[in-house]
Amino acid sequence: MKIHIASKILASNEKKALENRKLLKEYSIFTINLMGSPGAGKTSLLEKTIKSLVGQIKIGVVTGDIAGIDDALRIERLGIPVVQINTSGACHLDANMVFNSLLDLPLNAINLLFIENVGNLVCPVEFDLGEDIKAVILSLTEGDDKPLKYPQIFQKSSILLINKIDLMPYLDVSVNRIKEGVLSLNPAIEVFEISCKTGEGFEEWIKWLQTKIS
Amino acid sequence: MHEFSIVDSLIQRVHEECKRAGFSKVKNIKIVVGKASGALPAALLFAFHILKEGTLANESSLIIEETFLTGRCNNCNYIFQTEERFLFSCPNCFSNSFEIISGNELNIVEIEVY
Repeated sequence: MKIHIASKILASNEKKALENRKLLKEYSIFTINLMGSPGAGKTSLLEKTIKSLVGQIKIGVVTGDIAGIDDALRIERLGIPVVQINTSGACHLDANMVFNSLLDLPLNAINLLFIENVGNLVCPVEFDLGEDIKAVILSLTEGDDKPLKYPQIFQKSSILLINKIDLMPYLDVSVNRIKEGVLSLNPAIEVFEISCKTGEGFEEWIKWLQTKIS
Repeated sequence: MHEFSIVDSLIQRVHEECKRAGFSKVKNIKIVVGKASGALPAALLFAFHILKEGTLANESSLIIEETFLTGRCNNCNYIFQTEERFLFSCPNCFSNSFEIISGNELNIVEIEVY
């Protein structure tokens, strides 16, 4: 006997993501699902962003790694509520993991939530976490050919942060080639060129966040 | 390798459907996977082979139907298809405003139970 089902395979994740979205909306929290390769600068971006917004916007962080608590310790040092998820092997976060983390955060004391996904340019894209937007951070050292090699993440993100632009003089990488590739995949994406080390480009990024939260 | 999570979800769903309908074994599971879905059929089959063990899908086969990425141009209404995993512009009028009408699917279609 055949049973017709006709539904998404990840329907249970999407249902949970919807719950997360509802909960976050209830608390008026703007949520960014931050994705990027290992070493692209996800945690460094959060550190610098938190320091720039101290006293202005209440930030919370959920951070995902396969193992370890290094990222959470880096955020905690800045006095920000943070929950570390260890996926024990999984290459991405899913909505259920995030839901459990939300229960451990002081949601009424947060206006802006960053969900730092597991370092990976492929898998996290498929899993809706209940975020408002997806953002991808790509560092110059990864090469300017990456947008066209990993199209989905750039197609589904609203923000692209190009990090480590201070290394430009030492690399044979073209920022324009990155931008051209990304914009051909996703003409609506907003691009910020930044350096988490020198702080270059942060003014615009911070301004953008402030307009989103106020 | 997020295919493991996808197959894990799939097997859970199959389990629920079987329980609901009162069957204990599955013969076939048919799914549709878009070329642009980000999931690779070979990796899905590999994950299925490992994860089905000890479940009621143990003796079942996973049948994967692939769909090509298809777009409809917002400017000239031309419908176009590619074997690639992404689209840049309409091949007819070169507009980059288009809707994707298929190719992103990751759907369960039907299961055969007994």
